[in-house]
Amino acid sequence: MLLDIFDPKAPPQAIGIDLGTTNSIVAHVRDGRPVPLITCDGSPLLPSVVHYGREGTVVVGRSALSYATREPERTIASVKRFMGRAAGDSETTRLGAYKFVPGEGAVVRFDLGKLTPSAVEVSAEILKSLKQSAVDQLQHVGGAVITVPAYFDDAQRQATRDAGRVAGLEVLRLLNEPTAAALAYGLEKQKNGLFAVYDLGGGTFDITILLLEDGVFQVKSTGGDSALGGDDMDREIAERMLNAMGASDARTRTPEVVSIALEAARRAKHALTENAKVALELPKKGGGDLSFELTRADFDAWIEPLLERTGRACRRALRDAGLAASALSGVILVGGSTRVPRVRSYVEELFGKAPLADIDPDLVVAYGAALQADLLARSSDEVLLLDVLPLSLGIETMGGGVDKILPRNTTIPAGAKATFTTYADDQTGFDLHVVQGERELASDCRSLARFKLSGIPPLPAGLARLEVSFHVDENNLLSVKAVELTTGLSQTVEVKPSYGLTDDEVERMLIDALDHGEADFELRRLRDAQVEATRILLATDKAFDSDADLLEPAERARIEQALTDLRTAVSSSTQASRVEGAIAALDDATHDWAGRRMNRAIQAAIAGKNLGAVEQSVAHAAGVEAHLKKHGAQ
Amino acid sequence: MTSDPFEALGVEPVFNLDLALLEQRHRDLSRTLHPDRHAVSGAAERRRALGRAIEVNEAFRQLKDPVRRAEALLARRGVQSGEGKEPPAPPALLMEVMERREALAEIRLSKDQVALGRLIAEVEQDERRVRAELDRQFADAQLDSVEILKKLGQLRYYRRFLDEAQAIADDLF
Repeated sequence: MLLDIFDPKAPPQAIGIDLGTTNSIVAHVRDGRPVPLITCDGSPLLPSVVHYGREGTVVVGRSALSYATREPERTIASVKRFMGRAAGDSETTRLGAYKFVPGEGAVVRFDLGKLTPSAVEVSAEILKSLKQSAVDQLQHVGGAVITVPAYFDDAQRQATRDAGRVAGLEVLRLLNEPTAAALAYGLEKQKNGLFAVYDLGGGTFDITILLLEDGVFQVKSTGGDSALGGDDMDREIAERMLNAMGASDARTRTPEVVSIALEAARRAKHALTENAKVALELPKKGGGDLSFELTRADFDAWIEPLLERTGRACRRALRDAGLAASALSGVILVGGSTRVPRVRSYVEELFGKAPLADIDPDLVVAYGAALQADLLARSSDEVLLLDVLPLSLGIETMGGGVDKILPRNTTIPAGAKATFTTYADDQTGFDLHVVQGERELASDCRSLARFKLSGIPPLPAGLARLEVSFHVDENNLLSVKAVELTTGLSQTVEVKPSYGLTDDEVERMLIDALDHGEADFELRRLRDAQVEATRILLATDKAFDSDADLLEPAERARIEQALTDLRTAVSSSTQASRVEGAIAALDDATHDWAGRRMNRAIQAAIAGKNLGAVEQSVAHAAGVEAHLKKHGAQ
Repeated sequence: MTSDPFEALGVEPVFNLDLALLEQRHRDLSRTLHPDRHAVSGAAERRRALGRAIEVNEAFRQLKDPVRRAEALLARRGVQSGEGKEPPAPPALLMEVMERREALAEIRLSKDQVALGRLIAEVEQDERRVRAELDRQFADAQLDSVEILKKLGQLRYYRRFLDEAQAIADDLF
């Protein structure tokens, strides 16, 4: 494998990736506008399909798709539906051509004989291909923003981030797809207002209500279904085709037959977007062909229950936001499945207004991701995205109920604490079960992590106290901390939901993916540390410019020493650990100063509306307007 | 997250809060504190900003919810509140609670949308009335906080009832 050369003079280009169920796209910002990059297939859309050859070759995209009917079990499509899912999850039993490694493992593994790739590894192949295309066209690729459905739970997000890491990407951010779409739209016609983003993709449905005011995109509520999309429409058609073909039971539904029906169903669905009727030739059981005819009216009737599921989610999202549909300024359509005419008319009936679809619904999410990547890399303050937690987080209580610690639609980053107590005399341990979801019973929610806190001194029931804190970062990823507060003693356990892969496993995969294993890995670590160091040196210089007056002389001397050490380490060291150590030392030296600088910034924000601030915010709003014009719809 | 939410957001500590101003403050502070603003900063600053951003978001969530807003105001007066710390509900309220719970249980089975809508509207009206009363109570600095705690218990009940009714509505349509 070739490592791209680290040239500090050529600035790295941040990229945005829409890792879709059906297609994936990589885009970047050129001259202020998002543009898609050409993938290995010669077009912006890379089919999210990975073929694992018997000889160990892996191909991605259209060339993988060509194996779909010949070797369906070895050709993995719609892998996104399996992200963060456990073996034996209901998703693995739906109509499809794959075999899975049986058992109760934490992750779904595809059974390909010798190989048993997990969904994370399959997704990483798609990301690797996109990254390579970006490197070919941009030379120096920096961090990446990867989009996820807003309604993805914590396990699905962790899995997506892991896939990015396995592909060797620096994941700057996981961004919700509807938020990305809203950003891409720039909502240029009405820069302030309430918008709904209706996002029906291949495998997931999201509804997001957001308010755009003064350059802040604030998500009010979000909802959806992470297992509902165009694939389900295909299944509705394929189900009827299979019956017509004489394959009506499990025995006759071989992977090849199912794959042919699903492929034909997809073609029929696409044809019905333009035509009211379509006829296809299908192979019949026992030889020969049959002609299968399908009208748009039939199709519309079959998908109506799916649409009603989206309608329920939309009504709930409006209710959560405390809004009536009439309060919306517009409805934005995202996702390939919104090309279906009945979907458009349904959305219009639901919200009482014609939806907007000026930007290609297939590309709009990648555009938004590229814009966000660019904003983050430039540390720009033109636009701010305020997102929410999609599903409530809680702890299982005695009796199997759920104590919600952070409710859905809480603005992130978020944190909350709850205190629990012992229920038996001399109880010396706590079992904690972290769940995510809206159902009343913990067993109906998504299980994220289980852990045990032990070593509590024996006390009468109700005396020991356990404080559990939840912490959700800007990527919507959770960490949990538990402290036992008895008689002044405290004990802390840090828990990262262990669903999916451990950090060690991810590192192992990363090493395996590189030709020269450990050596390349070490080189990459050094490069990452150098990039990080350069970034921090710049940030510290900037802080000296604005806030040097907040420093004590001795403190300043210590920081300057740490800066010198870091510069030396960056320019002379070949060991990642030395650079990392110097970063940590600088970090430690600036710790108190960072706190004082933060307080100053907060005071300025709260002091708010003095003349200077008003002028600044007017100037800011003008900047946003200019930005939106620049990035607005084509 | 032990700090006073009114101070965290720089708003006046009143029950009848200007929600538009609250949102404005939250946005202004987010512009300064959101992790995206510190994506290229050093780790110390990133951590610090993240901590403050969480504090501000939590304060915002607390002040948006009238029950938690009342609790924060009581805490400023040194009065502990919370489930079980409020005086027992008067019998008339308990009677009302039981009747409405029964009605809700019936609707759960009958799936009667109209009846559910009517019940929700009724409780919403009561909830608004209790909030107006709490507002008057908080304006009176001399008032014994036991009176406020009684009202707060009532508000808590109405809010929870509405949450449950809303959840049933979500399942029904």
